[in-house]
Amino acid sequence: MVTKECLAEFEDKFKGEIREKKFLTPTQILYLVDKKDLPDMAYYLQYHPEFDESYYVMGIGSDERQLAGKFAYAPVINMLDGSGKRENFYVILKARLDKDNPEFPSVAQKLPAALWAEREVRDLLGFKPLDHPDLRRLITPEDWPEGVYPLRKDHAYNASPAGELQDGYKKAPEDTSTVPIGPYHMALDEPAHFRLFVKGEEIVDVDYRGFYSHRGIEKIGEGRLTYNQIFYIAERICGICGFQHSSAYAMAVENIAGVEIPARAQYIRTILLEIERIHSHLLWAGVACHLVGFDTGFMYAWRIREEPVMWLAERLTGNRKTYGMNIVGGVRRDFLDYRKTEILDKMKQLKKDVEKLYNIAVSSDILIKRAKDVGVLPYKVAKDYGVVGPTARASGRNIDVRRDHKVFAYKDVDFDVPVYKDGDVLARLLVRLDEVLQSISIIEQAVDQMPEGDIFTPIGKLPPYQEALGYTEAHRGEVIHYVLTGTNNKVYRWKVRAPTYNNLAAVPEMLKGYRVADAPLIIASIDPCYACTERVQIVDVKTGKVKALNEAEFNDLSIKASEEL
Amino acid sequence: MEDVKISYTESLISWKRPDLRVGVPVTVKYPLVPTEKPPEYRGKPHIDPNVCIGCGACVRACPADALTAEWDLENGLKSIVSNPARCIRCGRCEEACPTGAMKLTLEFELATPNKEDLVEVVEHHLTKCKKCGDYTEFTERQVEKAFQILPKEIVDANALGEKMQLCRECRMEESVKILAAQGRIIGDPLLLPPQHAKGGEK
Repeated sequence: MVTKECLAEFEDKFKGEIREKKFLTPTQILYLVDKKDLPDMAYYLQYHPEFDESYYVMGIGSDERQLAGKFAYAPVINMLDGSGKRENFYVILKARLDKDNPEFPSVAQKLPAALWAEREVRDLLGFKPLDHPDLRRLITPEDWPEGVYPLRKDHAYNASPAGELQDGYKKAPEDTSTVPIGPYHMALDEPAHFRLFVKGEEIVDVDYRGFYSHRGIEKIGEGRLTYNQIFYIAERICGICGFQHSSAYAMAVENIAGVEIPARAQYIRTILLEIERIHSHLLWAGVACHLVGFDTGFMYAWRIREEPVMWLAERLTGNRKTYGMNIVGGVRRDFLDYRKTEILDKMKQLKKDVEKLYNIAVSSDILIKRAKDVGVLPYKVAKDYGVVGPTARASGRNIDVRRDHKVFAYKDVDFDVPVYKDGDVLARLLVRLDEVLQSISIIEQAVDQMPEGDIFTPIGKLPPYQEALGYTEAHRGEVIHYVLTGTNNKVYRWKVRAPTYNNLAAVPEMLKGYRVADAPLIIASIDPCYACTERVQIVDVKTGKVKALNEAEFNDLSIKASEEL
Repeated sequence: MEDVKISYTESLISWKRPDLRVGVPVTVKYPLVPTEKPPEYRGKPHIDPNVCIGCGACVRACPADALTAEWDLENGLKSIVSNPARCIRCGRCEEACPTGAMKLTLEFELATPNKEDLVEVVEHHLTKCKKCGDYTEFTERQVEKAFQILPKEIVDANALGEKMQLCRECRMEESVKILAAQGRIIGDPLLLPPQHAKGGEK
C-alpha cells in the first residue's frame, strides 16, 4: 500500500500531536490528536501534493462527555489521488475538547470548506472555534436563545425554548441594492434565503441564510430509534437521494459490525442507486430547461423520467421513491429472475430517449447561450470549498466516490467519470447528461453480472462505542454518514453530511459578477430540489421600498432574459 | 369460461399499467378514470382480524409508531391498533407478522376529512390464569398458536402445557417451587421475591 508512506510522513511531521492511531476499516484511519495543530494538519492533508484531489469532507462534533468526559471535534479529509495510482482513504482527525471550555483553533481560517461545519458545531454543541472568520448563526433560528445547545446529550430531543430575535444578516457593501431571494424559492429544496447585493444588474456580493427547515433528524436517530429503524428516517432526509442516504448509513453500520454484505445485495443496491441517479438527473435537466424558457426540453425530460425510470423503480421496490429496500446486512427484497429482461428492456428504451434529449438540449441555442460562461466556478475555488459531485466535476475536479472508494458493486463494473473543465452551468448540465448514459451502462452491466445467492447477512448485537463512516456518490455529490454506536442497539452519534451542504456554501462564489436574471439558474445548477416557490423581494436600499416578485414574475424575468437573446 | 389459474410470478409478469393498456404514455385522466397500482405496490396496511393472533410483533417492528398495542387488563382485552395516517409504508410489520395477518394492500387513495376513519383496531381476549384468576399477558389465539407450532417434546419437557395457563407472577412462583424441589435454590422458595415481575412488555 502506497498510502503508508504518505501517512508515515504525516505522522512524522505532527508526531508531537498525535496520541493514537486506529484503523476503523482498512481505508478509514482515525487519529486522536491534540487540538493545537488541527488547522495545520487539515491544511496539510487537503493540499497534499500527491493526493491532489483531497478535500475537507465534514466536521463531526459530538458530545462524548458520557464516554470520555470531553467533547470531540473531528474534521474528516477525503484523501484522493487524482492520477488513480494510489489507494484512496479517509482520515478522521479527532480532537478532544475540554468539557467546560470547548475551544479549538478554527480550521476554517485556513480552509474555507470548514466554514459551515464550524458554525454548525458552534450552534448545536456550543464549541468555540477561535479565529473563525464568520461566526454568525448557521443552523439555529434567529430567535433561539444563547447558551442552549440542542445536540448536547443533556438537551431533550423535543425541547424548544424561546429566545430573543436577533439580526443575523451580513452588512451590504457600499452603494449596492439588496435583492433577497427566498426564504421560499423555486431554486431550493428547502426554504433558504439568498441576499444578492447588486449594482444595477450585476451581483457584487451574496449572503446566505438557510436551515429554516432543520428537522433535528440526527437527534431523533440518537435518542429514540434502534439501528434498524434509522433507515426509514435516513431515507426521508431527502426526497431525491433517499436511497443514497440509507445505503450510506447501512454501510457505516456494516463497517462497525465488520460484515461483508452478500454480493447479490451489493448488486441490488448498485442498480437501485443508479436508477435513483437517472431519475434525479433527468428531473434536474428538465428544470434547467424550464428556467431558461425551453419548455419542450422540460416536458420531454420529465416524460422519460416517469415512463421508464420511476415506473421501473415502482415495480422493483414497491414505490416510486422511498424504496425501503435496505437493512443492516443487505437488502430486504430480491429481484426475481424475470426482472432482468424487464430492466434491460427499459434501459434500452431509456437510452434512446436520453440520447434524443441530449441532442435536443445541445442543439437549443437558447439553452446554450443562457448556460455558457454563466456561474463559473473555477477549479481552485471548488477545491477550497470542498465542492462535490457533478458541480465539482464540471469544474475539472476528477472525483467520484463510486470509483475512488470502490463502494458496493461499482468495483466490478466499467464506467467513465465525465469531467469538464469549463465550470459553467452548461458544463454542469453536460456532466449530468453524460452521467445518465454512464448509469444506464452500469445498470446493464450489473444486471448481466448479478451473482446468485443470499441477499442478507444477519447481524446480531452491535458492539457498543465503535465508530465508522459510510459513503456513496449521490446525484449531487458525496453523501457521508458517521455512526458511533451506543448501548442496546441504539446509536450514540449519527452525523449526516449531504452533498448540498458543501455545494451551497460555494454558491455565493458562483453568483458574484453575474446578472440577477441568471441567479435562479446558477442556484439551480448545483441541483437543490425545486420544491417550494414563494416570492422574491427587491429592496431599494436608499428608499427602503420593498417590491415583491412572485414566482411567475421571477421566472418571467429569467425567461425574458432568454428571449432577449 | 373457466378460470385459468396462473402462478404469482406469472401474474406479476403479465400485469400491465392501465395507462399503457390504452396506449397513452404517462398522462391519463386519473381522478376522472380509476387507476391501478402494480402488484408490488406498498399501500395502506390492513390487518386480517381472522388471522391475527395479537402477538404484537408488528408493534415492535414499526419504526413510525403507526402500530400500537393497547392493554385493558381489567376486562381482559388487548388491541392491536393500526393508524395508517402515521404509517410510512416500509412494510416491516408484514415481514415480522408470524401468521400473515398483516398485509400491505394496493390501496393509496386515503384522503379523508377525519384521520380516525382510517384506524383499524383488532381486539383480542386474554387468557385467564388457572391459579389466581387474573388475566395473563397472552391472548387466547397466541396460546392456541403456540401449541400448534411447538413440537410436543418441547411442550412436555418444559411443562409448557401447565405454564402457559398461568399469569406471570404465578408462573414465577411455580418455577421457583420446581427449582427448589430440584434442590437448585436453597431456603424457603416462598420467601424469595419473583425475580422479573416487572420486566417484559408494557
